[in-house]
Amino acid sequence: MTERPILLVEDNPDDALLTVRAFTKNRIRNEIVVATDGEQALLRLLPAEGEALRPALILLDIKLPKIDGLEVLRRIRDDERTRNLPVVVLTTSNEERDVVTSYTLGANSFVRKPVVFEEFVAAVNALGVYWLIVNEPAPLG
Amino acid sequence: MSTGTRPPVRVGHEQLMALIDHTSAVIYMRDVDGHYLLVNREYERLFDLHREDIVGLTDHDLFDGPIADEFRANDLAAIARGIPLQVEEQAPGEDGMHTYVTVKFPLHDEAGHAYAICGISTDITARKRAEEEVRRLNDELELRVRQRTAELEASTRELDAFAYSVSHDLRAPLRSLEGFSQVLLEDYAGDLAEEAQGYLRRIQANTGRMAQMIDDLLHLSRATRSQLRRDRFDLSALAREVVAEIADPERSVTWNISDNMAAQGDPHLVRLVLQNLLGNAWKFTAHTPEPVITVSVHPQSGVDVFEVRDNGAGFDMKYADKMFDPFQRLHSAGEFEGTGIGLAIVHRVITRHGGRIVAEGTVGEGAAFRFSLTPAPADWELR
Repeated sequence: MTERPILLVEDNPDDALLTVRAFTKNRIRNEIVVATDGEQALLRLLPAEGEALRPALILLDIKLPKIDGLEVLRRIRDDERTRNLPVVVLTTSNEERDVVTSYTLGANSFVRKPVVFEEFVAAVNALGVYWLIVNEPAPLG
Repeated sequence: MSTGTRPPVRVGHEQLMALIDHTSAVIYMRDVDGHYLLVNREYERLFDLHREDIVGLTDHDLFDGPIADEFRANDLAAIARGIPLQVEEQAPGEDGMHTYVTVKFPLHDEAGHAYAICGISTDITARKRAEEEVRRLNDELELRVRQRTAELEASTRELDAFAYSVSHDLRAPLRSLEGFSQVLLEDYAGDLAEEAQGYLRRIQANTGRMAQMIDDLLHLSRATRSQLRRDRFDLSALAREVVAEIADPERSVTWNISDNMAAQGDPHLVRLVLQNLLGNAWKFTAHTPEPVITVSVHPQSGVDVFEVRDNGAGFDMKYADKMFDPFQRLHSAGEFEGTGIGLAIVHRVITRHGGRIVAEGTVGEGAAFRFSLTPAPADWELR
């Protein structure tokens, strides 16, 4: 199991808190770094200077202040330093165009956040098991 | 006409003048310099002049410069061509400018030189004005259609933005309500009386219900705004897929789904219809000892009529019309769950296809929904 952190891009503090709790409940102990808008996420992943974050998994909301999630995804895929990082779009919407655009831009997965917390815990567990244990990530360049 | 026995009739100037005086066309003759040689009675009537006063004058004496110039130019063109020339000309009339279709032709002397020009003008103003009116109405209609289309597009865009915002923004607070209620139940169960925990579960049940309503409303809006496709598809296969989604193996229900039911329509939208109709049938047979749900097709004067029938709770026929309205429910939430939007979605999808739907039910015996997916003649009635 990888020790690298998880980057959670989420502007709603309640959702961030519940997501962290869902990981904790599933005994996933990777550090969770929260970026509260798209700009912050890009600053962590592609900083002008200083150490860049190379998370094991990026959980990306679509509707975000400043730079929205789809634009963040586009820039992650455009830069060879972040191109191979797994990105799971974790959002409220299941609008077809959001799903399609996400995959077109290179999302690895699209998950609609369930309203019922127990279902959300189950979804986070599945994501954690798959992306942190089952999946073999691309080597860090 | 000639019989051979009658004396020959001499046709001279008088007779020819009588002929041209009794036509509704305007007839005139001018010399090559434009001086009038002759006009008919219609010409006199039209311009309220006597022929004696006109002879010797030119059009420049009778009409405004630009009009006279145009007449003269057409005269010269006819002389130059040497053969009859047809042109449209404008001349002032009692009620504004009139349009004439005019034939002009030169008269030649024995040496072949043109010495006069004849004109025969027919008033086509009424036709012109009618044509103009048709063109104006067409332009107006087209403009109105463009305006309406733009308005419709704008309202669809608004609806789209609204639905998008609903799907994003209304669900987020529900997740907090649901999630933190769960946190309280998990982390503070020891501090909470059994009754308090029950209230939290009620909060959770209601947030779940509201989430379901939001999803149903989104489906309703999608059924309205998405582009309608017309594909041929296998409704039997679609119905079986939907059954696999909704059927819970803990309940035993007999499903009779006819084979090879071919349909024409939008499979994504018809899936919503089947999800709701079969979902209802499933739901309302919950208390039925031997539930049977049937999906079949019955051609009715050339139109395929699909039917979803169950032997469940049924409904009172006096509510049959109301049940397709949004948020209309015929059962209490305690009896059967539901948001009251499902049949509104069904109705919307079928209406968009140009089809019809009718519901038939008997309390305690079951319900049947029959629908068509293709436009039918106006006098066609779904039975």
